[in-house]
Amino acid sequence: MKIKNGFVVRKVGGESVVVPVGEMSKNFHGMINLNETGAFLWNFFTAEHTVDEGVQALLGEYDVEEEIARTDVEQFVKTIQENGFAE
Amino acid sequence: MIYEIAGLRISIKNRCKYTESFCEKYLSGDQDSPADLEVAVTNEEFYAEKSLSEGFSDGYIENICLYRAICRQLPVLNRMLLHAAVLEYDGNGYAFLGRSGTGKSTHTGLWLKYLKNSRIVNGDKPILEYKNGGFIAYGTPWMGKEGLGCNASVPLKGLCFLEQAKENEAVKLTPAEAATRVFAQILLPEDADNAALTLELTDKLVTEIPCYLLKCTISEEAVQKSFEALTGKTYGK
Repeated sequence: MKIKNGFVVRKVGGESVVVPVGEMSKNFHGMINLNETGAFLWNFFTAEHTVDEGVQALLGEYDVEEEIARTDVEQFVKTIQENGFAE
Repeated sequence: MIYEIAGLRISIKNRCKYTESFCEKYLSGDQDSPADLEVAVTNEEFYAEKSLSEGFSDGYIENICLYRAICRQLPVLNRMLLHAAVLEYDGNGYAFLGRSGTGKSTHTGLWLKYLKNSRIVNGDKPILEYKNGGFIAYGTPWMGKEGLGCNASVPLKGLCFLEQAKENEAVKLTPAEAATRVFAQILLPEDADNAALTLELTDKLVTEIPCYLLKCTISEEAVQKSFEALTGKTYGK
């Protein structure tokens, strides 16, 4: 899975937000708020990676159990795909 | 023609006369030196706006589009549009924000009534500039339906979000809480550079400028609450 180009991510007031730019801003209006894990995964999946790689990356970064990490990554990927943000 | 707005030389290529008289007070005495920014309205944008604003003159519609065209290009120049009413009191600027109908003009009107030495710099659409570690709020020709404001600038010292309530209370907001509220009051450009810089400026705004939520009635007590929170002074002394 890889997130499409056309988004800008920044921390505003300590929270990560994503906004669509260029062509993407014509299809999608608004702003996406990310929690800490979400911001990490967003950044990770701006390059092509599998769910398994996402889980390993999350485990390397945070002190979480593998099962929880897998649920998080699967949920994240599902949300990205459902919104049409995946290539 | 070239106008001097928010500390910038802006070349406005208008087709309708409306904008010329609208921006008259901001006309630059120097029409020869280069401009920082050049704006014109495309046909596409003009007709898109026209379809949304039935009953308004072409000049009025072009004028709205021109300001939007200016504001979309501001972030790379360290500036951004904020939908707010900015008041000046004692040399400092305070921005009042809220959705349409929450009482921005009512509350700022009360400040003018009860606080001498206060005036409106821009009643609706000021431009903010980030400069030397602080923000400056500018009056511009675009200042809302009531047309309240002046060609002036003021250091911005506080943000105050308004909400109608039964009791008056001012609450300090965290940067994250303020960010959520500010997002509803800014213009997000579509190009990547200006969009990213808008977010960076917004981050500076909510982390460096104290932000409050004022739950308020229409009363002098409401002015007291916002005044004391924003200025740190005691009201009426």
